[in-house]
Amino acid sequence: MEPVGAVATRTDRAPSVEGLDAASLLDLHRRMVRIRVFETEAGRLMESGDLPGFLHLYVGQEAVAAGALATLTDADQITSTHRGHGHAVAKGAGFRKMFAELFGRVDGYCHGRGGSMHINDLSIGMLGANGIVGAGLPIAVGAAFAARYRGDGSIAMTFFGDGASNIGAFHEAANMAAVLQLPVVFVCENNGYAEFTAQARHMRLDDVADRAAAYGMPSEVCDGMDAVAVRQACRRAVDRARAGEGPSLVEAKTYRYYDHQGVKGLRKPYRTQEEIDAWKARDAIELLEARAAADGVVDAAEFARVWEETRADAVDAIAFARASPLPDPATLTRDVYTD
Amino acid sequence: MAVRELTYVKAYTEALHQLMGADDDVFVVGEDVAGYGGVFHMYDGLLAAYGERRMIDTPISETAIVGLGVGAAARGLRPVVDIMFMDFLAVCLDQLVNQAAKMKFMFGGEVRVPMVLTVAAGAGLSAGAQHSQSLEAWLAHTPGLKVAMPSSAHDVKGLMVTAVRDDNPVVMMLNKKLLGAKGAVPEELYEVPFGQAAVLREGTDVTVVALGRMVVEATAAAGTLAAEGISVEVVDPRTVQPLDTATIAESARRTHRVVVVHEAVTFGGLGAEIAAQVTDAAFDHLDAPVLRVGAPFAPVPFSPALENAYLPDRTRIAEACRQITKRS
Amino acid sequence: MAQQVLLPKLGLTMEEGTIVEWVARPGDQVRTGDVLLRLGTDKVDADVEAEGEGRFQPVVDEGATLAPGALIAWLLDGDEQPPGAAPAPAAGRAPEPVPEPILASGAVAPGRPEPGGRLLASPNARRVAAELGVDLTTLRGTGPGGRIVSEDVADAVVAARVPAPTADRPSPRPVDGGGVGSPLVRRHAASSGVDLGSVRGSGLGGRIRRADVLAAAGPPPAAPVPAPEAPPAQPAAGPVPGTVLPLTGMRGAIARSMHASLQEMAQLTLGHEADVGGLLALREQLTREWDGTGLRVPTVTDFVVRAAAQALPEHPVLNASVRADGIHLHEQVHVGIAVAVPGGLLVPVLRDADRRGMVDLAGQTRELAVAARAGRLTAAQLEGATFVVTSLGSYGVDFFTPVVNPGTTGILGVGRVRDGVRWEGEVPRRTSVLTLSLSFDHRAVDGAPAAEFLRTVSGLLARPHLLLAG
Repeated sequence: MEPVGAVATRTDRAPSVEGLDAASLLDLHRRMVRIRVFETEAGRLMESGDLPGFLHLYVGQEAVAAGALATLTDADQITSTHRGHGHAVAKGAGFRKMFAELFGRVDGYCHGRGGSMHINDLSIGMLGANGIVGAGLPIAVGAAFAARYRGDGSIAMTFFGDGASNIGAFHEAANMAAVLQLPVVFVCENNGYAEFTAQARHMRLDDVADRAAAYGMPSEVCDGMDAVAVRQACRRAVDRARAGEGPSLVEAKTYRYYDHQGVKGLRKPYRTQEEIDAWKARDAIELLEARAAADGVVDAAEFARVWEETRADAVDAIAFARASPLPDPATLTRDVYTD
Repeated sequence: MAVRELTYVKAYTEALHQLMGADDDVFVVGEDVAGYGGVFHMYDGLLAAYGERRMIDTPISETAIVGLGVGAAARGLRPVVDIMFMDFLAVCLDQLVNQAAKMKFMFGGEVRVPMVLTVAAGAGLSAGAQHSQSLEAWLAHTPGLKVAMPSSAHDVKGLMVTAVRDDNPVVMMLNKKLLGAKGAVPEELYEVPFGQAAVLREGTDVTVVALGRMVVEATAAAGTLAAEGISVEVVDPRTVQPLDTATIAESARRTHRVVVVHEAVTFGGLGAEIAAQVTDAAFDHLDAPVLRVGAPFAPVPFSPALENAYLPDRTRIAEACRQITKRS
Repeated sequence: MAQQVLLPKLGLTMEEGTIVEWVARPGDQVRTGDVLLRLGTDKVDADVEAEGEGRFQPVVDEGATLAPGALIAWLLDGDEQPPGAAPAPAAGRAPEPVPEPILASGAVAPGRPEPGGRLLASPNARRVAAELGVDLTTLRGTGPGGRIVSEDVADAVVAARVPAPTADRPSPRPVDGGGVGSPLVRRHAASSGVDLGSVRGSGLGGRIRRADVLAAAGPPPAAPVPAPEAPPAQPAAGPVPGTVLPLTGMRGAIARSMHASLQEMAQLTLGHEADVGGLLALREQLTREWDGTGLRVPTVTDFVVRAAAQALPEHPVLNASVRADGIHLHEQVHVGIAVAVPGGLLVPVLRDADRRGMVDLAGQTRELAVAARAGRLTAAQLEGATFVVTSLGSYGVDFFTPVVNPGTTGILGVGRVRDGVRWEGEVPRRTSVLTLSLSFDHRAVDGAPAAEFLRTVSGLLARPHLLLAG
């Protein structure tokens, strides 16, 4: 299956299955499936009115988080975005605590204080999603600073979108990281839209990656619907960072299937059905499964088992979340300060 | 150990020097903090002592500077972030207010952000509207932040030690006009606890609660008023978040009259908060409404003729005290 | 510009006032707060202060009795002459319409309410007044806008402790503080007649504080008021021979009231010796037990008031008023307590005395006495008595013939506590006794029922524990 569509033809596609063994492919697959299942269930729960607040869902972009985070260890730190569930899941966050947080329950990652946009797990290097566009980038630079300060060999990675590449924090963070030569990887998930505004209407460049040149930082563009391609591009950036060669920028061209917020847009469509269908025809999970099967590296039944296990995991986690108590209002002002 | 006379700015430098010597996790980051030693010479000598690993010069990028501090603090370091003028907070407020301040709470209590943000505040130097503000009210209004306003060399050092050792983001508001003011400073490391006001002068007729440099002015006014037979108690909260309401209210219960003084504009300033707290805690002990002495509702002007009229001083404080104690 | 000084209205019921003394002299340059005159009314005497500045020029003579609102003086600028001043309206005549005063000498009017009727008093003044039992409505506010501040309350307490100035003894002039005390302190000193030069300052640098002045002025407010049994520490300044005391103000009121009483009523007095040995023993016991509790041991007179209040519902003819249509028997028991004050006598009223416990009754009685001596009683506190208790025991009197107050049918006099003998069979026991003197209006009460009342009161006094507990 070859990529179609105007955006996809612009990508520098790396070799797909070549060089990756079954375990690595299944790892990528499992990360993507876990994201897809989690987000699909979250969207369903939201539409049924079970979840308070709003959700920015990651469905469609799974290859980016899976490919990028397959290159990190738990010691490496990431900062995420308002669309952060995918990064958390791919970094290894558990469904139970994630769903409990979406339900606003005490067993959630933030004990009901943060919600969807603040899921974090310090034990696996997840320094938090973020409700402010671009705000995670300087924080990741700080985490990279701390890693080098301590000389512990870890690095930092920060995710941001094409829209965030227009905000000052991106430019300041990129320049700062380059000037200080810090071990950080900037991963731009270019899904073509800053909320509801198409890329062509919010920047004059085709590639966010071109912006890296302004800060003397290497960059590359990859196919964000191909987890293997993302993995390989990020691997190069991560290796540079670990080697003390400073920051890099990886731009992954991808697409979100759902609306900016929630599942289906309620207002005037800003994307054509044709465009959506073209990207869905290159679905990252289907792409990986088809290639692996064609190359005979992974048996299709293995993939089916991943789906099955993941769905069971989601059912368990949702039940857990529903059963978790609501937070006690008496604890409201707890944890404002560290005593 | 000995107590010497040090300037306000040197007391700050000495605190940092000793803190960095004691704890490798402490580092300084900001514009011109290393090679130049800080635009107010706050960091003189620290580069030579601790090297470029711990003294970090940065581009003019306040958002990235503060963000670097937040990320490093979340990873367990103890950054001292300098952004020069307090006015520049406006260009990096997101990192301070939306990230540093809220991170612990949003994350469900898991993270600590032991960061100190040093800013130079205050007017009186014809520095104009963008280099003279006292914005403590913005910060004290934000849950998760602590705000220190030292009024003397002694308190600069002690509050800085407490700030660096604190596990929360702390904004240290140094007053530009006090940088050269000398005071007795012990050599050893000592802490001035947060949330503990200092009663700098005892009095019986009126309590003056003063912030930052206004403490100096209030003390001078108290001397003048003493000669007139008005006994003024001067209270320096030292930190406005946390705020030592108990000491202020206790004083109010004794003097029955309270004047609050700060450089910031009166409207919505700490004076309003302190007045409300005093009313809550000591209403039945008040003989007069709490008076506020602050700046008019205008940006800080440039011309000395205007700025002198703008800034509260000992004369205005004394007049407020006369007014509040006046009886027919 | 010439400013008028008008005769202030000191209370709702005030119909006239007498210029007892001009404190300021014609031509004096007076400032805000300077005392201009002493004003006498049928209830209280008070200082009237200037609320502006200027050259003082009175337009009426000392001794003049005028209606509130009458023009009594001018405050003039420079060489300014008083505008063609109309003669002050005589008492009883409707006052001429007076222009809105520029200088409201009515600042002296106690408890000036702000528009809307709420009394202007600081929270602290309200708190301190409540603690010290001071009625704010009797105070003059010296704070911003006439607000009563805590110092005004303290002033009143201090004033209550020193002999009130009278016509023949001018109010103390402000003492020159010599800069050793704050204006507030100097004010206290002035109002309490304390010479700051003799006060040792406890403030910073020996500065004299309010507390020092209060201490110098006398015992703190919480100290017991001299019990009625104790003779006055020093006699009030007596009248000076060779002068004429005007029958105005309180003196005039007493004269009219007593004369009316004896003219209208058929009065007679019964005497009865009550055994108060047990009562005195109980008081001694309470004095020991209540030491340090802050509770005040009721005086002997308090016990008598309590006993009378308990007895009156059983003897309604002594809790009555004789009017044209008959004898009105009152349902409520409001006991007037006669209090000697400089220059006369006041009878503040303890309302619902029969429903008050001993401690409450004693506390209220004391507060009324303090307020009476401080000249702080309101008109309401002086009205509505249904029976009166008066004591001359502290002056060494055993038996006397108190005069029944108009509007009541009885008054009970309390005599000196003295040694007596009680016979237990053939054995004499030493005890303490006092004589109760009951005057009553024979138009409403005959001798036998009056004696029955006395016996009831006496019986209650013999069982003081019941009075204390009930």
